[in-house]
Amino acid sequence: MNLNELNLQQARQGLREKKFSAKDLVTACFSQIKKHDQDINAFVSTFEKEALKAAESADISLPLGGIPIAIKDNFLTKNQLTTASSKLLDNYLPQYDATTIKKIKAAGAIIIGKTNLDAWAHGSSTETSDFGTTKNPWNQNHLPGGSSGGSAAAIAAHEAIIATGSETAGSIRQPSSWCGVVGFKPSYGRVSRYGVIAMKSSTDSPGPIAKTVDDAADLLEIMSGHDPYDATSIDEAPWKKPAPLSNLKGLKLGLPLCYFPPQIQPEIKEAILRSVEIFKKLGAEIIELSDVLDPKYSIAVYTILQRSEVSSNLARFDGIRYGHDRSFFGEEAKRRIMLGTYSLSSGYYDAYYTKAQKVRTLICQDFDKQFQKVDAFIGPVSPTTALKVGASKGQAMFGEIQDMLVEPSSIAGLPGISIPCAFDKNYLPIGLQIIAPQKREDIVYQIAKIFEDHTDYHLKKPTL
Amino acid sequence: MKITPIIGLEVHVELKTKSKMFCSCSAHHFHVKANTHTCPVCLGLPGALPVPNKTACEWCIKLGLALNCSINQDSFFERKNYFYPDLAKGYQITQLQKPFAINGYLDVDSHRIRINRAHMEEDTGKSIHENGATLLDFNRSGVPLVEIVSEPDLTSAEEAKKYLTKLQQIIRYIGVSDADIEKGSMRCEPTVNVCIDDRFYTPLVEIKNVASLTGVMNAINFEIKRQVEKFAKDKIEKNSSNKTTRGWDAVKNQTFLQRSKEGSADYRYFPEPDIPPISFSAAKIQNIKATIPLLPDQKLDQYQKLGLSDADSQLLSRNPSFAAAFDTALDHKTDNDFAKFVANLINGPIRTFLNESKLEIDINSIHPTHFQDLFENQDRLSSTAIKELIIDSYRDNLEPLENAKNKNLFQVSDVNTLETLAKEIIDTHPKAVEDYQKNPAAIGFLVGQLMKASQGSANPQLAKEIFEKLLK
Repeated sequence: MNLNELNLQQARQGLREKKFSAKDLVTACFSQIKKHDQDINAFVSTFEKEALKAAESADISLPLGGIPIAIKDNFLTKNQLTTASSKLLDNYLPQYDATTIKKIKAAGAIIIGKTNLDAWAHGSSTETSDFGTTKNPWNQNHLPGGSSGGSAAAIAAHEAIIATGSETAGSIRQPSSWCGVVGFKPSYGRVSRYGVIAMKSSTDSPGPIAKTVDDAADLLEIMSGHDPYDATSIDEAPWKKPAPLSNLKGLKLGLPLCYFPPQIQPEIKEAILRSVEIFKKLGAEIIELSDVLDPKYSIAVYTILQRSEVSSNLARFDGIRYGHDRSFFGEEAKRRIMLGTYSLSSGYYDAYYTKAQKVRTLICQDFDKQFQKVDAFIGPVSPTTALKVGASKGQAMFGEIQDMLVEPSSIAGLPGISIPCAFDKNYLPIGLQIIAPQKREDIVYQIAKIFEDHTDYHLKKPTL
Repeated sequence: MKITPIIGLEVHVELKTKSKMFCSCSAHHFHVKANTHTCPVCLGLPGALPVPNKTACEWCIKLGLALNCSINQDSFFERKNYFYPDLAKGYQITQLQKPFAINGYLDVDSHRIRINRAHMEEDTGKSIHENGATLLDFNRSGVPLVEIVSEPDLTSAEEAKKYLTKLQQIIRYIGVSDADIEKGSMRCEPTVNVCIDDRFYTPLVEIKNVASLTGVMNAINFEIKRQVEKFAKDKIEKNSSNKTTRGWDAVKNQTFLQRSKEGSADYRYFPEPDIPPISFSAAKIQNIKATIPLLPDQKLDQYQKLGLSDADSQLLSRNPSFAAAFDTALDHKTDNDFAKFVANLINGPIRTFLNESKLEIDINSIHPTHFQDLFENQDRLSSTAIKELIIDSYRDNLEPLENAKNKNLFQVSDVNTLETLAKEIIDTHPKAVEDYQKNPAAIGFLVGQLMKASQGSANPQLAKEIFEKLLK
């Protein structure tokens, strides 16, 4: 096995046992990138020279010492190109590191490059990137999902050991599902947003994308913790993963029936039901939830609130700084700015923004109600497996439809995870999601971990 | 024709907190090298987030309480979206729906001026127009601002000036801002229109760029006159869409049109998602209230009750530093004579000394025991000597009684000593005695001779009385 194919646990062990050096590990990742990234296009930029230099002095006693990491290109990295996959920022060198980047660097990880996303994280396909679409490593005629498609593809293609993503409504879980990797979206506020280019400020949640549940949890431990630079950050010590469980006795898992909408791909429904059997065998009680608020309402709420916040968040790119004027915004960003400007305008504000906020409250209350009956939700991440390249073109609501099953929990700020649970007939991965109450990442981890321990989908590798 | 001016004032006050509203940069920006007090937050860089300055929020509430406002215990920030080159983020963080303070008032000569709100926001950067280019300085970007909006209750430029002066005094009293109009830490934007014959209302005009109190008065008076004349010609009345913004040209002493159709501006306010809602408990608000000192009106009342003249009371109470100096010198004593004595010294010699040396009053230079010693020895000291001694005390911390001894300023009030001297003078100045007997006013010469003989140490009043007795 090539070194780049190791997961975080294996790589860390190998480094500490001196079976190989950090330089070997970094070199292996770059050789994979050179071999395949021209096709996959997971990276917007790579930093080979700096990474190799950092590898030479890597302190492997640190939690992520010497581990090559890929960073979604909406995280600010000091003096290293940060584009948000928009041409508007095609020569932007940030003056500061995002809080999460500081933590990742302090933990000893080596940043090997910045990964592709839908421009400004607007989308679920990477097709709105100004730097080309990323291809799904399992089948390059298919999309990786998005917006963290570059990070998910880089992990699936073993171009990096671990990666960061950010989710506003599906942007970690959906591409992880389509690429067959693990994507852990923490509670809103668990991970600092400082230095991550704002998309929808009220739900943006940076988090890990990795090869295993433990890898994702380990990276989340590093990324999490209160940040005095982020007023919405949870005022608690960094999250620590709990001890794994040996069975799920006493645990109630809710199966929301409305998370299986009519348009769901049948193989996905079957895969989730097979997973349910595994959970039952592990001792969990499965409770079918028939009165969960339909996720279709979340599409409207998310669309209004997201566009509104985007129209304000992108105002700073006014053509005076950053070298380019506003004609460098792509079609999708322009569409969102227009819609958000409209929904915040006087005369429309109450009908759209205020109403959306009220429905958001109802969605949060519905989760509170359901979590009195169950400890966590399980269900599909996406109604389909990876769609073909080009599928999002001309579909202004593409992302919202693809993300409808992860939008309610994003809107409510809940933690969730996508883990591989099956493949469809074309051997495209299928993702299972687990959602827990606010700040209960521990439950998410324990359920995901035991499922992974009893399955081998996470061990499959795409043929590149 | 009956003319009733209708004036409302929007006042922005820069708080003198150490750091800015949403980051830890220094809030100090007057005469500071451009763009040196900046960081990702106040430059509005991608990914940067605002974290509210607790002290600034508490000071805004303190100011609201001093202006008799109710405090919204649950409040939040909002974004006001508009484009301007010196507005780094493309929006200003401010408060619209739930300002910290609402529904207050200020009494100006017993006319109650209602205050609509006092809300918290951030200042913008500064555009500097030079040689056909525009330069941007972000040192001011994010400095905490409180906006105080009055209802249109003011009816003259003179009243507006009084309102502003009083507001300024209160702000300085509670110590949250220098409220210096010339330096821009207090900025006033009057909105003016006129009611004619109790029937017609002229269109609203907001006046910008007024940089002094006199400017505010002149601008308001100019507008009143202009609007009355204009109405006489065009008969255009106020409606919901004809508010205009005019600038003040202090050189030409006139306003000029800046913007029309103000009513159509849409700032797309919405709750700031980067800052969670802010709550203040009733107990916390009480604690803030407890930090408010006696305000100018209350001080004035207190001084008048101590028996000070109106003039002295006003002079002391309108400036918090002088009031504090007086209170220190008085040292909680309630004796009216002592209070008058102290007020005379502070408003007299000390004030003159400070004015001449261009100094601010320093409370650490006020030594209560020195005032007390002087008060108790005023019979032995001439008023000129007392002035000299208090200035020495203030400037050099010299103990007055010791200083008086060294400078030989004590007056001789021993009757026997003075009589001996007087007799000698009468004997040696027969001509002067003759003059006095013809004209009693000539006694001055004899007293003068005695002062000279005693090397200035004689009590002149006593000397005069002795001559009168001896020459009867």
